[in-house]
Amino acid sequence: MGIGFSTYLEMCGLAPSRVLGAIRYGAGGWDAATIRFLPTGTVQVLIGTSPHGQSHVTTFSQIVAERLGIPYDDVEVLHGDTAVAPLGMDTYGSRSLTVGGVAVYHAAERIIEKARKIAAHQLEVGEDELEYENGTFSGNGNSLTTKELALQAWTAHNLPDGMEPGLEASFVYDPPNFSWPSGTHIAVVEVDTETGNVDLIRYVAVDDVGSVINPKVVEGQIHGGVAQGIAQALWEEAVYDEDGNLVTGSMMNYMVPSAAELPSYELGRTETPSPTNPLGVKGVGETGTIASTAAVMNAVVDALVPFGVTDLDMPATPERVWRAIEAAKT
Amino acid sequence: MIPAPFDYEVAESVEHAVDLLGSREDAKLLAGGHSLIPLLRLRFTRPALLVDIGRIDELRYLRDAGEKLAIGGMTRHHDIQNDPLVQEHCPVVSYAAGLIGDPQVRHRGTIGGSLAHADPAADFPAVLTALDAEVVIRGPEGERTVPVGEFVTGVFGTVLGPQDVLTEIRVPKLGPTGWAYLKFTRRAQDWATVGVTAIVRRSNGTIDSAAIAFTNMAPKPGRAKAAEQALTAPDDIEAAAEASLEGTDPPSDTQGSADYRRHLAKVLVRRALEEAISR
Repeated sequence: MGIGFSTYLEMCGLAPSRVLGAIRYGAGGWDAATIRFLPTGTVQVLIGTSPHGQSHVTTFSQIVAERLGIPYDDVEVLHGDTAVAPLGMDTYGSRSLTVGGVAVYHAAERIIEKARKIAAHQLEVGEDELEYENGTFSGNGNSLTTKELALQAWTAHNLPDGMEPGLEASFVYDPPNFSWPSGTHIAVVEVDTETGNVDLIRYVAVDDVGSVINPKVVEGQIHGGVAQGIAQALWEEAVYDEDGNLVTGSMMNYMVPSAAELPSYELGRTETPSPTNPLGVKGVGETGTIASTAAVMNAVVDALVPFGVTDLDMPATPERVWRAIEAAKT
Repeated sequence: MIPAPFDYEVAESVEHAVDLLGSREDAKLLAGGHSLIPLLRLRFTRPALLVDIGRIDELRYLRDAGEKLAIGGMTRHHDIQNDPLVQEHCPVVSYAAGLIGDPQVRHRGTIGGSLAHADPAADFPAVLTALDAEVVIRGPEGERTVPVGEFVTGVFGTVLGPQDVLTEIRVPKLGPTGWAYLKFTRRAQDWATVGVTAIVRRSNGTIDSAAIAFTNMAPKPGRAKAAEQALTAPDDIEAAAEASLEGTDPPSDTQGSADYRRHLAKVLVRRALEEAISR
């Protein structure tokens, strides 16, 4: 049996555009969002980062629904079509929430800012006398909701002098600093020293990804990342034959593990809000891949230390483990 | 990933299937399709005609035939795994059936298809070789019976002629016997890197006879005769494992090199014999 630890600190939230400029990167590190209230009271959110399984729609809808005080189901997130949402960088580096999500937050603040002006005008109070809570502006014994104000902005029957009709706002967010997710993962393996087979029997992960908007999404991201990292340690490999032909070119022999090969992960969390953005988020997509590969390899080597093995190439296939044990005997 | 064009006929009976196979050059039987369909899609095979025997109910059965169990060629792995007759008289066959592929494969794949495809890494050919099972074949000349060990001639090769249909597998009942099937795989659904079937008959602390057969240690499933002869008492397990490699010719691939397979085979023979003797 072997136990392996991996403690990491990740540089996330890529990136302040000035920093990218200093390293002669070919683009900026900002991202963009537009929020558009429709006259019906539903909201379209246009985002520059596009999901391929990371639940952007769920998480970004939550941010908008909470800030604007509207039902979650009234938010529609649009993405992936430059004819609809032309402005944005990419989904990479665990940056969608820490950069794109923060852009959504700021766009919502701009919506509230304009709605406050309309509310103050119609309720005949000063802007700073209005209380805003859960989508409702209150003052002078009266109140108006964001949905009501959206319709007012659309009809434009009674807006402050010179105000543009409509309730729509964009924000391009350029992060002032990186964010820094961190954590420790522990893997426990059993190694069959005769066959070289490695059995991962327990996996514990404790991460700090900052404030959590949706715990299930965060867990799912960690599960997926951990599985990918474990796969690199124990299964996945690009193998070429002597003539340079790729012999692991199909899903049958590239060795992506399934649920049958992986344990049920035990996840823990500390929540330390990031001071670099108003949501306090740090990014979560890659934490699992960073920590798990090292934790599992450390566990395998830990199990083999009594046999004189102190180093092992990845992936730790049964044959490679067996050969390492045999080599250490001589 | 799209097969080359082929014609398709549904056989109503075994006789009909034999006739259809004779109606065209390069006709091929379609059973559960779990090996043939992927081969068609990769265009590794391009038959002119597929004869589907999936609707011939008379080929799907498990029967008590006295000294033996009779298993229809189109019987699914899942049915073999869960049949009380198989579990009572040939538990190693039921157990091995449960290790094939995944539930979807076991509900579609058939024992006859697995034997006729003759993949060196398939489980049934090796297990049935250890059990001295027989294969019943019906062709234009009538019916004949062939031992499984002679039925498979090499990688994907069998004695089946172009118009032959594998109709039945006859497996001798084991009686009071120790058995084990050890299948070493990288992932749950993978083919065996190496598999070992061990059948051990004992009386009064001595071993009367043993049957040991390998999966994926040669182009065709083979008995480890030298190991079987070396095993006369439980103390001989180590010697039997050492002797088991005689006559093997394992492949080298991404699952493991030939050297590793030879090492693995010895370990698995020892463990399989220990498990069989403990039963």
